[in-house]
Amino acid sequence: MSIELITFIVMIAVFLLGCFAAKLPVSISMVLSAISGALVAGQGIPLRHLVEGMFSYVDTILVIATAMIFMKVIQESGALDAIASVIIERFHKVPALMLCMIMLIIMFPGMITGSSTASVLSAGSIMAPVLMMMGVPIVETASILAMGGILGMIAPPTNIPAMVIGAGIDIPYSGFGLPLSLLTFPLAALFVLMLGYKHVKKMNFLEVQAKLNTESRKKFGLKVYIPLVLAIVLMTLTKLVPAFSIGMPLVFLISAVAGCFTGYKINLLKVSKDSVNSVLPVMGILMGVGMFIQIMTLTGVRGFIVTTCMSLPEWARYIAIAVSMPLFGAVSSFGSASVLGVPFLLTFLAQDEIIVASSLSLIAGLGDMMPPTALAGIFAAQVVGMEKYTPVLKKCFVPCLIIVVWGLLFIAGANILEPFIILG
Amino acid sequence: MITIIYRLLVVYVIGLVGWNLFTEKKLTAQMNCAMVLIPLVLRALMIK
Repeated sequence: MSIELITFIVMIAVFLLGCFAAKLPVSISMVLSAISGALVAGQGIPLRHLVEGMFSYVDTILVIATAMIFMKVIQESGALDAIASVIIERFHKVPALMLCMIMLIIMFPGMITGSSTASVLSAGSIMAPVLMMMGVPIVETASILAMGGILGMIAPPTNIPAMVIGAGIDIPYSGFGLPLSLLTFPLAALFVLMLGYKHVKKMNFLEVQAKLNTESRKKFGLKVYIPLVLAIVLMTLTKLVPAFSIGMPLVFLISAVAGCFTGYKINLLKVSKDSVNSVLPVMGILMGVGMFIQIMTLTGVRGFIVTTCMSLPEWARYIAIAVSMPLFGAVSSFGSASVLGVPFLLTFLAQDEIIVASSLSLIAGLGDMMPPTALAGIFAAQVVGMEKYTPVLKKCFVPCLIIVVWGLLFIAGANILEPFIILG
Repeated sequence: MITIIYRLLVVYVIGLVGWNLFTEKKLTAQMNCAMVLIPLVLRALMIK
């Protein structure tokens, strides 16, 4: 047995022991696992490498922190309530379209922050009572939230697994918009209809209307939407006018400050503190993943995984992607993207790498449904008030399979799709 | 100019993470905060 394989086994074992036996947070377990990997490989405690690893995700954690501040501001200002009530009032006669719009709202925080947890906990917690009011049963509601969270995390503009995979082979995070949209939005529509349509078509609109919160719309009018519009305008400007490229963190912070004056009064400092508090576990996981990957690189484990993946025959690579990426997501979907996403992308270099990276990020995203961490499933069950999340995972099994097949189809057909979906 | 703005933004996030560090009750959560602070402080000081 090679030293790289022994080091990898020790790292995984320490991580699992930290998570399950010692009940430590995922981030701390990852640090311990990185340190033990370095010790086993005879590198001592390489402090410089541990800190270097953390820096891989500094920009990402700034995006997550500021995006969460923005999300909380538009939630507290009443903008999310306003959008939810508008959608139900305008589209109740077309239940399929209304469900798709609700799914889009659930996905929105994930699209902005790149975190499924943000989607489930913010927009998910607002839309869950609305869905249940419309007659969707509790398990189906939680499943819609969980799948919305995962697809929101993968949908553009912010997809952290795709950024992580791209960073591994120096592809800039540019040109991913259309492939990611095609990978996520059709599935989002399919899943919400699969899980909710038969219940919603029997909805009593008058009953639902009485429970909607329309106060912010009536009180502030169109003004309440300004932060959202501003964020979209600034993001578009940042993409279209290179001289105006101010970066996503600043876009979110400017829009959040604007949101303080367009709806209910907000204490920005308090909201910022609460927002950072809710994303600290995710930020910590990213720091841990950074160290974990750095030590894997230092000790040769990463190279070992890359060569193993590259030596697989083509048919076996598809099976390996379908099985190993979601399974490794039990550690972290970001870790899965980095440890397995990068080598798998290297094995498909003959195909369009943006489409392949986007598809791999979609499959890696399923890690958030993988027990025991299963962030999306656990939080979705919590939001709707379920004690156990297992029924949610069972309900999401078929959608998860569809995600894997959809992702693999995109990888297999990447070169056929390239002329149509890769711009420029 | 943008560098100064981003350094200020990093300092703001450091303040928020630091605030959470001192209000968290659980030791593991405090360790998590401290871990997030390390690269942010080094970035704000332009050491790395």
